[in-house]
Amino acid sequence: METFLNLAWVVAGILFISSLRGLANQETARRGNGYGVTGMILAIAAILLSGTAQHLGPLVGTLLVGALIGGTMAQRVAMTSMPEMVAILHSFVGLAAVLVGYAAYLDPPNGHGGIAYNIEIWLDVLIGAITFTGSIVAFLKLKGSLSGKPLLLPGRHALNLVVILVSLGLVVPFAGAEGSLGIPWLMIMTVLAGLQGVHLVAAIGGADMPVVVSMLNSYSGWTASAAGFMLGNNLLIITGALVGSSGAILSYIMCKAMNRSLVSVIFGGFGADPAPGSASAAPQQPQGEVVATDIAELADELRDAKEVIIVPGYGMAVARAQHAVRQLTDLLRSKGCNTRFAIHPVAGRLPGHMNVLLAEASVPYDIVLEMDEINQDFAKTDVVLIIGANDIVNPGAQTDASSPIYGMPVLEVWKSKRTVVLKRSRSSGYAGVDNPLFYLENNRMLFADAREGMEKLVAALQ
Amino acid sequence: MLIAIPLESHPAERRVAASPDSVKKLIKLGFSVSIESGAGVQACYTDAAFAAAGATIVADPRQLYAAADLLLKVRPPHDRPQLEHEVDMLRAGATVISFLWPARSHELIDRMKAKQITALAMDQVPRISRAQKLDALSSMANIAGYRAVILAAEHFGSFFCGQMTAAGKVAPAKVLVIGAGVAGLAALGAAKGLGAVARAFDTRPAVRDQVKSMGAEFLEVTIEEDGEGGGGYAKEMSPAFIAAEMELFRKQAKEVDIVITTALIPGKPAPKLWLKDMVELMKPGSVIVDLAAETGGNCDLTLADQVVIHQGVAILGPTDLPSQLATTASQLYAQNLVHLLTDIGGAKVQDPEQKDFVLNMEDEVVRGCTVLHRGQLIWPAPIKPQPAAPKPPAAAQSTAASVSSHGRGAPPPKASGSASKALATWLSVAVLVAAYLLFKDSTDSGAQLFAQQMTVFALSCFVGFQVIWSVAPALHTPLMSVTNAISGIIVVGGILHLKGDLTSPAALLALAAVLFATINIGGGFLVTRRMLRMFRK
Repeated sequence: METFLNLAWVVAGILFISSLRGLANQETARRGNGYGVTGMILAIAAILLSGTAQHLGPLVGTLLVGALIGGTMAQRVAMTSMPEMVAILHSFVGLAAVLVGYAAYLDPPNGHGGIAYNIEIWLDVLIGAITFTGSIVAFLKLKGSLSGKPLLLPGRHALNLVVILVSLGLVVPFAGAEGSLGIPWLMIMTVLAGLQGVHLVAAIGGADMPVVVSMLNSYSGWTASAAGFMLGNNLLIITGALVGSSGAILSYIMCKAMNRSLVSVIFGGFGADPAPGSASAAPQQPQGEVVATDIAELADELRDAKEVIIVPGYGMAVARAQHAVRQLTDLLRSKGCNTRFAIHPVAGRLPGHMNVLLAEASVPYDIVLEMDEINQDFAKTDVVLIIGANDIVNPGAQTDASSPIYGMPVLEVWKSKRTVVLKRSRSSGYAGVDNPLFYLENNRMLFADAREGMEKLVAALQ
Repeated sequence: MLIAIPLESHPAERRVAASPDSVKKLIKLGFSVSIESGAGVQACYTDAAFAAAGATIVADPRQLYAAADLLLKVRPPHDRPQLEHEVDMLRAGATVISFLWPARSHELIDRMKAKQITALAMDQVPRISRAQKLDALSSMANIAGYRAVILAAEHFGSFFCGQMTAAGKVAPAKVLVIGAGVAGLAALGAAKGLGAVARAFDTRPAVRDQVKSMGAEFLEVTIEEDGEGGGGYAKEMSPAFIAAEMELFRKQAKEVDIVITTALIPGKPAPKLWLKDMVELMKPGSVIVDLAAETGGNCDLTLADQVVIHQGVAILGPTDLPSQLATTASQLYAQNLVHLLTDIGGAKVQDPEQKDFVLNMEDEVVRGCTVLHRGQLIWPAPIKPQPAAPKPPAAAQSTAASVSSHGRGAPPPKASGSASKALATWLSVAVLVAAYLLFKDSTDSGAQLFAQQMTVFALSCFVGFQVIWSVAPALHTPLMSVTNAISGIIVVGGILHLKGDLTSPAALLALAAVLFATINIGGGFLVTRRMLRMFRK
């Protein structure tokens, strides 16, 4: 039986790897998801059939209820709320890991655990608790229930350090405790780690949420891996390591895209420090005047345009304007105007957020291009339509050393003949930086809700 | 606040201070608009069109003036035939916005002073980039430049465009534009469009590129002197420069067929640039269009609004060129007014008692064009230091900056990706070697197990790094939700601990863990499926 289970673990592990491999590009992505589902079903079926599992009735019942709840959530969630959905799912992994850790402590194999076993439980619960509370804060922030502003406690780095050290220090009395006597220590540590999770994410500004979400994704992987060590289960170790490294790479990619250091993300509170050199040089105040335009004028310009690039941002997601944007794209393309999309890596609140929304609206993915693919094309573009994006098209990131987003790679939209920024108001972006683009001579502002504006524009063009 | 737009009763005036489009925008700003019946007829705007835009049509001019809080006009207020002076028909304390030319309209200013009028002059809008959208002088100059070329073509006895016909060759017309301001550039564009050889002269070297951008040739004298006088005008030049300039003009006079002069110096009579002897050097049949006729003309022989023929050369001094393109001129002027009123703050910012604007005198544009404020003469506005014009080097600097920031910024993602991949590889190897060295002599089964687990862990991390790097950024969200679902594998841990008494704390905790982990699995996979189904080519 042991051999059968081990064989099943290896096969499931291979299926999971194929699943991630499949997601490498659009053609194979669905197959990839299928591999994942198969692997998961195989793993669960194997353990149910192997005879290792007890209480099959309540167990299968719980599995069905859980799958039903998860399935319903997945069906109901709007594509624009995807970041919240992913964040809350992360918290479930964290919670499950904490619960498994406690269960494992109360019910050690062969009646007694030993120090190594206890240390593994300790790690599992620690990372699980941080993931759990951190994801909940991220969820609330993304949902808007909590302010996107970073919470900056005085001496927060010292605070983080102390809490982590205390959490780690408590392992000594816990690991040495006989039987289940270590429970109070474990609970104290759980609370501390929970608070640590809250504090880590609360200290991060709303604009950096893509990094936070992928970082929590990574944490949820490591916690599964820790559970694997604890249970001596290779499948958990493998899967956890896969997920953990995947999240870590995503965080790394996001950080590069925003010119942040990964270290400062992990320790929280980034995105709030003033850029070096800004102490002496005040941020440049953009010169000039913003010029507003209206739907009719924009429609005329689009009618004459041969090359159009649309840059979507979080504003498009909030206004759920993706369908109207798709209609606009279809219209322009049917008139022979080469219309494409430029996606900045951190547009939206989740990596790839914009791609998902555009896909939902059935925008063909071969006209949706990455920053590096399209940046050199702006110079020969007639009209760039910027929908609810701000920081990712800020020329100050290249020219203004005192800007907090200085050095972040941005879409060079200002090189085109005309940029039109569709925005609800003239407020600054999530990073709180004024945007010199708005004051450029070839820029026009269209103050409107993204969806309403797009719908009117489509009507005007028809 | 009620805006009144009267008929422009000056005989040479066909424009009107509103278009149906601008009326709509004014109403949006919170004004109510009344228009004198027939005001737009010469600009091809019917009363019906204005009424449809939301304006009230008023047949009795007296009533229109008496009710007005704000009078919008093109020409400065003047005596109306069969009526009184326009200012006298307004109520005391009303506001007037139009071209006013305060430097030469003393009688009008005194009359408005007496009635406590607030007056804003469209001709006094500061020439700064922020005010471009309400710069009526530029709008009108653009029209004048175009129209000057059309007028010249009308009097010119040949094609503008050179032609090779069966009956012989026709040389293209040569057009010289003096003064490459807005009007000059528009004239160059129009002349070029008709096929003529266009050249321009201006004392400001800065406009060279603008001239070249119109496809015209920029003539230069050998003496270097910058004629930039600020505010888009040229200053008066040194005698040596003028001598060189005259020499150039005499040379050109023998060559060119059409001369269009646009040189103005604010507050002074127009400079005399095209002298009598130059006219006499020109070929018979040549045409001179003098756009400065209103302030005395750039040519010695110009007479305002007349065609002078001197030795076969026609010299035209039209002063109503914008008015000849009445529809477009009205539309642009009306739009300039809308922009000014938007800048002032629309109808909202008003003093309820006086029913006039609260004018923000801190605003350079508002301060610049306000001539009278409640009957008090505050013109001319104190001169603010000219902001340095955006110079080409600034653009070059920013390009250089962006280039250098590319240079020292983050290396391209691909390179850093492979660097991290290499790092991951070496880390994995290091972990494996360390595990081997630590545990090779150990006989403890626990340690053996741990070593084995570490091996699996390190290998998995390595595989994870290898696989994830190839994921397309567009798929990052599905990737995250699928890895999220996969991390629900922790359910196995729950299942393994669901044993013994079902009501024991350990079993209950395990059951709860199973529940949450399955929510995660179900939710994660389904949501991924939903997302991936949407990606199509």
